Amino acid sequence: MTLVTAICVAVTAAVSIYLLLSRELKGIAMGTFLIGHAANLSILAMSGEPVYTNEQGETTLKLPPILGYGEDPANPLATMVDPLPQALILTAIVISFGVMGFLLALIVATGRVTGSLDLDEFDDDPKGLHPEDAEHIEQNDSEAASS
Amino acid sequence: MIPDLANLIVFFCLLPLCTALLSVTVVNNRWASRIVGLLGLTTTFTTAVVCLTQLAPTGHIAVTQLGGWSAPYGITLVMDSFSALLIAAASAVALGAYVHSFSTLDPRVERRYFHPLIHMLIFGVNLSFLTGDLFNLFVAFEIMLMSSYALLCLGASDQQLRHAYKYVLLNILASTIFLMTAGMTYGMLGTLNLADMARIVAENQAAGKDMPAGFTALGVMFLFVFGLKGAFFPLWFWLPDTYWTLPIAISGLFGGLLTKVGVYAIARTFPLIFAQAPPTGIEPSDMRVLIMTLIAASAAFTMFLAVLGAVSQHHVRRILSIHVISQVGYMVFGIAVMTGQALAGCAFYMVQHMVVKCSLFLCCGLMEKHAGTDDLDKLGSLLKRDLGLGVLFFVAAMSLVGLPPLSGFFGKMVIIQSGWDQGLWWLAILGLLTGALTLLSMLKIWSYGFWNPGPAPTAEPAETVRSGNRAAYIGTGMLVGLALFLGFCAPVVYEAAFTAGRQLYNPTDYVQAVLGEQQLENIKWRDTITAPVDPPQTDPSLALRSEP
Repeated sequence: MTLVTAICVAVTAAVSIYLLLSRELKGIAMGTFLIGHAANLSILAMSGEPVYTNEQGETTLKLPPILGYGEDPANPLATMVDPLPQALILTAIVISFGVMGFLLALIVATGRVTGSLDLDEFDDDPKGLHPEDAEHIEQNDSEAASS
Repeated sequence: MIPDLANLIVFFCLLPLCTALLSVTVVNNRWASRIVGLLGLTTTFTTAVVCLTQLAPTGHIAVTQLGGWSAPYGITLVMDSFSALLIAAASAVALGAYVHSFSTLDPRVERRYFHPLIHMLIFGVNLSFLTGDLFNLFVAFEIMLMSSYALLCLGASDQQLRHAYKYVLLNILASTIFLMTAGMTYGMLGTLNLADMARIVAENQAAGKDMPAGFTALGVMFLFVFGLKGAFFPLWFWLPDTYWTLPIAISGLFGGLLTKVGVYAIARTFPLIFAQAPPTGIEPSDMRVLIMTLIAASAAFTMFLAVLGAVSQHHVRRILSIHVISQVGYMVFGIAVMTGQALAGCAFYMVQHMVVKCSLFLCCGLMEKHAGTDDLDKLGSLLKRDLGLGVLFFVAAMSLVGLPPLSGFFGKMVIIQSGWDQGLWWLAILGLLTGALTLLSMLKIWSYGFWNPGPAPTAEPAETVRSGNRAAYIGTGMLVGLALFLGFCAPVVYEAAFTAGRQLYNPTDYVQAVLGEQQLENIKWRDTITAPVDPPQTDPSLALRSEP
């Protein structure tokens, strides 16, 4: 199981790095999304083997870490999953959602300013906002100021 | 007097959060959000100074266990004099840049959530100075980075967006690696608490055992992550390209704050965990030797190559941006020497650099107001036009260079001297050379911008600039005044810095404060081993290592 997770992490990370190196902004966004998943999976792999073998030699999945659930009160860690990595992943997922939202907004803004989603087509000389967008923002601002 | 500092620590995180939320509600009212921000930042600054006066003379470390969960299990916030120094400096810098932004920031940008974002940035910075475990350090970094991404794109000019990608993507990548490394640390040691990790390393060292082999890799990965945030030698290229496109108040703030958080993380974690000094009589582990070599090499290249880059530039903003990297090299030099004295020098240098660098950026903003550009070829005779700005710039520039009565000197002197004493003479010589080249590039700005007659300034008449940017002059003046204070009252600040250096170098107090007494029975810290050890035990590490 750990091996499967490790392979998953490796493949996800490789794909995401390939995407991150592309020139197309959409590809970069997908790459950042995937690399977050790779990190989360690797933390999950750190929480140890998800299966355990009991006295009868049966292999089952570990139990949720709730008091009273553990079959072996003397050694609950053998039968329960480690909750902390899952808590870490939960936090990390929320953060990567935030980053992703920002990145998508940034890409939309870039598309408006430059008229293209290809990093190579960025101009070297500054143009500032697209005239229509600038007008739109100006209008919004004056409305906000007057209200 | 403060009854209990431990309960005050949360204040440094809660206050910026509250001001951020408050200024979201008044985002369309410029003056309301400015007053909220001013109040918030001034309160943070004064509280940090008060905490510093309580913590520094006694060497006390204040600890809060959030929710009452004791240390290795719960979330811990720790404040020692190093954190207090840096929080005070950070809020002072933010205050100066904030006041400066009143007159220089485009109102359109200001209304686009500039105020809440600044407060969230301060929240992230304060939290990363205070947090006591690795995962919360990651969270604090993310809070800080998210607000810096957003500040980076305010106004959204073509150039700004183009360079934002470099910064955003590199930092996302670094954060992901940070997350993975934190996960691996948990898998290896079963804890994320810095003090608990320090305890495990110390117990291993006292027993003469090496840490598992992967632990060295973790140390190097953390060095990579923090080095990227702090713009160390091979990882700096995002910095100069990013900082010079921003509105000047924001680049001043970034130049003062952001890289220092990476340096702080190294100064906090490496003496504590990855490069912990072994007890006397035990050889340093291979890991410590490798990591110290990496840090020293990185310091040398960062210092010297960056200053060469700065000398070659011809735009004031670019010179200042690249100098940020070069001075980060000095701080890393202090960490690479890793004695109590050098770490104290590093702490002092960080504080003065934050203040001085931000004030230089703000001066640069005023120079641009006069001439309409920061190209040195198109500047000239600013001294005749505006004597006050000339004095402000000269004081700040000479503080950066480190002319004796001014603040930069004291940090550099201590770092270079202790480097020399510890046998890192090549780093010390490079440091001196870097100082000379810094002087050269500052004199270049001074002579081209202020001294030479040059082409006639075109933008606005001097009186209009002065009366239109009063807030900017006040903000810059505040920071330059603070830089002068740091120089002329250096002994006062040094007292705090020495406490910080001692605590960083010898983490017994830190671990004791976080974990409590009972956890420490098995640890032999280097200071506790004073009695001569029996002859057969003098080198237990070698004996144990050759066993298998």
